[in-house]
Amino acid sequence: MNGEGAIQLNGKPKTIFTSLLDPEVLKNCIMGCNELNKQEDNVYVADILIGVAAVKGKYDVTIRLSDLQPPNSYKLIVNGEGAPGFVDAEAKIQLIQIDDENTELRYTYEAAVGGKVAAIGQRMLGGVAKLIIKDFFKKIKRELEKVNIAD
Amino acid sequence: MTYIGKPLKRIEDARLVSGEGTFIDDLSPLPNIHYAAILRSPHAHARIIQIHTEEAEKLSGVIGVVTGKQVAALTRPFPVGVKVPVKYYPIAVEKVRFVGEAVAVVVAKNRYIAEDALSLIKVEYEALTPVVNIEDALSAESSVLHEEVGSNVVNHRIFRYGNIDEAFKNADHVINKKFTFPKVSATPVENYGVIANYTKSEGSYTIWSNFHGPFTLHSVMTAALKVPSNRLRIITPKDIGGSYGIKSGVFPYMVLMGVVSRIVNVPVKWTEDRQEHLMASSSGTDRVTWIEAAVKKDGTILGLKMKYADNVGGYIRAPEPACLYRTHSNSTGAYRIQNVEIEAIAVVTNKSPTGLIRGYGGPQHYFPLERMIQIISNELDLDILEVIKKNLLTKEEFPYQTASGGIYDSGDYHKALNLALESIDYEEFKAKQKEGWKNGKYLGLGFACIVEPSGSNMGYVTLALTPEERAKSLPKSGCSEGATVTIDPQGGITVRISTVPTGQGHETVAAQIVADALGVDPAMIRVVAELDTLTSPWSVASGSYSSRFAPIGSSAVYQAAHKVKRKLLEIAKNHLNTAMDKLVIGDGKVSVKNDPEKSISIKRLVGLAHWNPEGLPNGLEPGIHESAFFTLPAAKSPNELDLVNGSVTYGFVFDAVQVEVDIDTGEVKILNYTTIHDAGSLLNPNIVEGQIMGGLAHGLGAAMYEELAYDERGQFLTGSFMDYLCPTATEIPKVTIKHIETPSPLTPLGAKGLGEGNTMSAPVVIANAVTDALKPFNVSIDQLPLTPDRVWSKIHHQNAVKI
Repeated sequence: MNGEGAIQLNGKPKTIFTSLLDPEVLKNCIMGCNELNKQEDNVYVADILIGVAAVKGKYDVTIRLSDLQPPNSYKLIVNGEGAPGFVDAEAKIQLIQIDDENTELRYTYEAAVGGKVAAIGQRMLGGVAKLIIKDFFKKIKRELEKVNIAD
Repeated sequence: MTYIGKPLKRIEDARLVSGEGTFIDDLSPLPNIHYAAILRSPHAHARIIQIHTEEAEKLSGVIGVVTGKQVAALTRPFPVGVKVPVKYYPIAVEKVRFVGEAVAVVVAKNRYIAEDALSLIKVEYEALTPVVNIEDALSAESSVLHEEVGSNVVNHRIFRYGNIDEAFKNADHVINKKFTFPKVSATPVENYGVIANYTKSEGSYTIWSNFHGPFTLHSVMTAALKVPSNRLRIITPKDIGGSYGIKSGVFPYMVLMGVVSRIVNVPVKWTEDRQEHLMASSSGTDRVTWIEAAVKKDGTILGLKMKYADNVGGYIRAPEPACLYRTHSNSTGAYRIQNVEIEAIAVVTNKSPTGLIRGYGGPQHYFPLERMIQIISNELDLDILEVIKKNLLTKEEFPYQTASGGIYDSGDYHKALNLALESIDYEEFKAKQKEGWKNGKYLGLGFACIVEPSGSNMGYVTLALTPEERAKSLPKSGCSEGATVTIDPQGGITVRISTVPTGQGHETVAAQIVADALGVDPAMIRVVAELDTLTSPWSVASGSYSSRFAPIGSSAVYQAAHKVKRKLLEIAKNHLNTAMDKLVIGDGKVSVKNDPEKSISIKRLVGLAHWNPEGLPNGLEPGIHESAFFTLPAAKSPNELDLVNGSVTYGFVFDAVQVEVDIDTGEVKILNYTTIHDAGSLLNPNIVEGQIMGGLAHGLGAAMYEELAYDERGQFLTGSFMDYLCPTATEIPKVTIKHIETPSPLTPLGAKGLGEGNTMSAPVVIANAVTDALKPFNVSIDQLPLTPDRVWSKIHHQNAVKI
């Protein structure tokens, strides 16, 4: 499964880039995230509860950041494992400044799931992925407003 | 015969429709039963690095967690009929080889706790490259599933019969094609269930399960459990909620739960859920066939070359690779073709393991064979019926020996074909079809001729070995089945059968047979179908598979009933002072043929045998308790030329199906399904009707809807009935069933099996009809199921949409 998209965010690439790497911001923005901690530089571990179709469950997730080119782009590698199966995803994120106050975030992703979630939830997966991503950016937008106000 | 052949109502149904059936999940045969749940692999192919069970063990109510290493320490890998060292345990030991493979078992005081504990187990895997498709597995470059085998090919044999080179040299045309048959299940309503108990003081396992044989698997299980055969007692429940072969695949779970019970030291019950069933129970093989036909201009088929590869999944397990050989004896179908080459290959891939399924090998075999008949007629520009009739065996040719050694016992194929043609107006249809094509209406008519083997010869499975390999062990032959007829001191008649029905109505037919033999009302007879390996009259071939009840199981009942009848006549003879051949049995008494006033009641005769042995004729044992074992000499072991008669009886099915294809949506609508059957003498037309409709529904599923689908990483994609589509009542088309009866000369009642024919014929007859409808597009169906997207893509020359 793969996909791509773009969203316009308020703020300069530098501010957005910093926010996107902030564990607290990530925790608040990822749907179903109960806990998210920095394990080491650019590695986070998280507890995420997701339901796809009838397959609900907790995933132990490791998020790795690589190819960091602040404030322009980075790569996100996600591995999640749990009772419903596993999720492996890779996303490329690019920030392009539009003007002084606006930045466009472009993303592409590839994801694969395994186990029960693939067997039962395959049909729903594309929709669920879009939902999670949409929700993430909606929340990021809100988080950025907080940051922008603080600035 | 008063009852045999009559449409008696099934005696099973009253209890089934009133909620009084007794299924495995209803049983609670022991105190202190605990409940198991199974942790399954999410990976198609991976090495197990470590399993962390501590957190699960701590959960209150959990009494034990068992992993592969513990099971391997107490068992041996299951034996299998091929010469490759595949180590198959009922649970993954070092590697997982398919999504859904068991990795750990939790036992708890209830299923809820056991399920909760599964999520507390952490397994570290190292993912390996999966192999998913047959053609990849055939390549030497594919990642190897079983290191000790060194290749993914686990069985490979080539057979040549007649003069194949001559046939191809003399041919006017040589036509070759490739066909792919999908991996399908049979989805019984009831899933697997096991209750297992290990008795330490006896060193014995007692296992209740909805297992229906073949009881050759009893020896496979005792070998795995490392116990003498009488230390594994298998008991089946009174009712089994369907199987169609699939439930023979419960045997690894029987062994697994037996060992788990031994480790955790309590009786253990496990009931499979639907997701587990679709993902990891059993299924038919998917198969790729390369077929080549040598034909003359007039449509005569001189020779056939068939190369086929079956995908047996992650492990080859008994009775596989038998799917490759089940149709070996009838590989030329209903046709007179004496030059044949067969190359049979079994491969392992990272899919779920396979086993018995309704039609076993037949749907995979007839799909290419019967597609070829239509392709030949198209290429030669002959009418398809002309090609069929040219090659179809005539009734004078029976008994007919096929190139590969099958002996077709009886039949009149042309009569069946003509009966079908009476039901459809062929010429009128052709005119309507031409008219339709002009107006954008795509009508098609398909035919299929199926020889339906029934009553498997135990010997055919050994075709997987070369004659030299076979010579090293005891030959295998026969199709034995046992039955016992008992009359208690007060005249109550009981029949004990070992055919383990899974819904086919064996109790009814057994009662009909005994009622006729002893001249009593079938309602008076009780039939015990529960099998207990310590007390039932069973043999290695016992069980429910290969449509063996009509030719074999019923014959064992017939034989046992006639032993009882003989004994009653012996006793009566003395009392009536006459010869045995002057006596007739009927209306609950034995009387003298020409002097009906002289008679004695059966109750009285039975009473004598029990209460007054002193009054018995000399040499006669007291009591009435007769067991009989039946087999047929036609079921011989394969000879050194690899000739084998793989089944004892061969029925015939001729199908004619009309469809309409919507070229804008790819939807196939079945307008009319006509099926002509010849299963010899029918034992109960009521049951016959149900069997034919059921077999047809399974065939329709494979033709149109069903596939256990995997992605390129070996991930299983059809884990619920939302994605694994089965036909329901609304998808079943109008079906016209007609019969002809050419009795089998081999079986005492002239009967042959019949429940699998349309499972074999429906996939190909529908493919033929769709191909016929789409003639203007020059489309040839070579893959199933005929989902709308597949049909649409064929019409519009697009590749199927990728998931």
